[in-house]
Amino acid sequence: MAALHETTATATVPRQRSAGGFHAAEGRTAFFFLLPSLLGVTLFLVLPIIASLVLSFTNWKLLGAPAFVGIANYVRLFTADPQFWPVLRNTLFFTAEYLVLNIVISLGLAVWISSLKMGQRWFRVIFFLPTFTPTIAVAIVWMLIFAPDGLFDSVMSALSIHMPSMLTDQKLAMQAVVIVSLWANVGYNTVLFNAALDMVPVNYLEAARIDGAGAWARFWKIRLPLISPTLFFGTVMTAITSLQVFDQIYVMTRGGPGNATATLGFAIYQRGFENFQMGYASTIAWVMFAMIMALTALQFWLQRKWVHYDN
Amino acid sequence: MKLTVILAAAAMAASALVPLQVHAQDAPVNLVWQMWGDEKDTPLWESLAALVTEEYPNITVTPQISGWTDYWTRLPILASSGQIGDLVAMQSMRMPSFYSVLEPLDSYFATDSFDVSAFETSIIGGLSHEGTHYALPYDVGPWLVFYNHDKFAAAGLADPAMDWTFDDFKAAALKLSTDGNYGYAAQTFDFIAAPVALGAEYFNDANAFDLTNAGYVDAVGKFVDLVAVDKASPLIASGATDSAYGRFSSGNAAMYIDGPWSLISTQGAVDFKMGVAPLPRGDGASRFITAGSGWGISAASKNKDAAYKALKVLTGPKAAQILASGGRALPGRLAEQSYWYDVAAKDVIGAREALTYAFEHSTPFRLNDKWNEFENLLTQYIPLALNGDSTTQAVLADIQSQLP
Repeated sequence: MAALHETTATATVPRQRSAGGFHAAEGRTAFFFLLPSLLGVTLFLVLPIIASLVLSFTNWKLLGAPAFVGIANYVRLFTADPQFWPVLRNTLFFTAEYLVLNIVISLGLAVWISSLKMGQRWFRVIFFLPTFTPTIAVAIVWMLIFAPDGLFDSVMSALSIHMPSMLTDQKLAMQAVVIVSLWANVGYNTVLFNAALDMVPVNYLEAARIDGAGAWARFWKIRLPLISPTLFFGTVMTAITSLQVFDQIYVMTRGGPGNATATLGFAIYQRGFENFQMGYASTIAWVMFAMIMALTALQFWLQRKWVHYDN
Repeated sequence: MKLTVILAAAAMAASALVPLQVHAQDAPVNLVWQMWGDEKDTPLWESLAALVTEEYPNITVTPQISGWTDYWTRLPILASSGQIGDLVAMQSMRMPSFYSVLEPLDSYFATDSFDVSAFETSIIGGLSHEGTHYALPYDVGPWLVFYNHDKFAAAGLADPAMDWTFDDFKAAALKLSTDGNYGYAAQTFDFIAAPVALGAEYFNDANAFDLTNAGYVDAVGKFVDLVAVDKASPLIASGATDSAYGRFSSGNAAMYIDGPWSLISTQGAVDFKMGVAPLPRGDGASRFITAGSGWGISAASKNKDAAYKALKVLTGPKAAQILASGGRALPGRLAEQSYWYDVAAKDVIGAREALTYAFEHSTPFRLNDKWNEFENLLTQYIPLALNGDSTTQAVLADIQSQLP
């Protein structure tokens, strides 16, 4: 069968080569078929990206014409804006804490689900549910739970645990954002990792078991290395989304109390759409973009040390 | 062959997307009217639009409603992309940021000797920018104290006097804070309206922010202490809005500060007798800021004359009567305010007296183009003073340092 295919393939080669025009026509048709999405990408992605880069060198205020200001926005951001460094620190703090917790919890849940004898599918669905619930809706419900004298405070006082209300405390507010983000997003990585764990060949694990490897060793030495490409993908994607965190903060804290939960994503919104400093907001967006690029490149560089591609 | 077919199809599709731009000389004018609000209010705005067509049969007005928050995000985008409607709703506090999208009205007023004295003075001022009129008001109102009359009576407190002082307010708030309930529920805007009533200024003479002047710090501190020290009000979180309204209507808080624009909904949500009183005064005489909204003509409109005709109808006596009788707005037109008092406020103790008193003692609401920024920063930072992490002085200094 395979041989037959090969012969037909070889036989058609000269015909294709002789009809060079056919290729061009095909290419043109393909171009027209691709045109709608190409137009979409150009109009809604490429152009806005270029526009935002241009805007970051202007003082555009949404109303009126923009004026070119050179690198003044960048200078202001790095030297004059009292809020930039706290905002950057908050963003990195959130990303570090959320990323570690997300990966640990989702991996733990994935391992637990894959060890279940029954009900695996149900648990996958349950943990995945929050992922396709809109973050805004999730955040509104959690905001009500965490509100001063809300459900959370009532439960805590019923348990005689005396603590400040989550959203009014500078340290706890960020933890509230982390909790909500975890609740909403851990399911995605759980399902991802769970699927990867199920792909680990059973015979590897059985061979290890026969050789006397315990559950702990089997996990660290066989399962984890084998799912490391998926783990890497999950880590990179989670890092990117957590650097962009916005919805939860917009709904729950508006960056407060003080600047305790102000992140880059929120700063862009605040500068651009509340204070109408579009040029300056574009500058922050480009700094955020550069940061995400750099961190992702770093992760790709680091992956050589711990990610194992089987083939 | 194939290519031409594809191109022809593409051209046809494109032509279908371009709206037909045929304009006959006497063709009726359709005006797009940009307004914020709830979807359930659409029939109300449509009934106002119908008044325009009744008066000018060739003019139709189509309301385009968006939610309050979205409205202010959409407005500059629509304006800068040339998609803005002919009639544009504007709130007095946003005027310094958005006056440039509106057409100055003074020349129109001059041509038909339009008299703005039929409207409440403070809101005519609020909808102007540097002496130029940009919009005509449909509603107006000062900030007031909404109080739970039943709780006042149960605690043996008399209804507040028109010229009650901060000490009276504080005494009531303390007395009513019992058994997990609060005498007062603070919210961010209180730290603007209430200090002004106490006689403080947040601006300097050059209309720039001067938040750390002793008078303003002291006045804000008085209200902060009610929360931070006296615990007469619950803490507020920077993200939560409407919590004061919720606490008041559920009976958890006995007083909160709001405006007549909320009266109809608050009254509908409470199951007790409520009253309104002016904001408490300081050592000096009372003074109150007012806010309100109105409609202006878009500077980009192609039908400005028709829009002016429509504007006069929309802010005219008949429209004001409809809005007032429905309780939707305390009219900016003085003559029609009684409809509001007789309908929306008829079961509210002190509504007419408190509002009349407040208008008599109104002071211009001083604003500049950084106003939105200031309000956002206040929302974000004032919780730090309320929870005791920081002092009023430090919080106001921090906000001041971030206002360029």
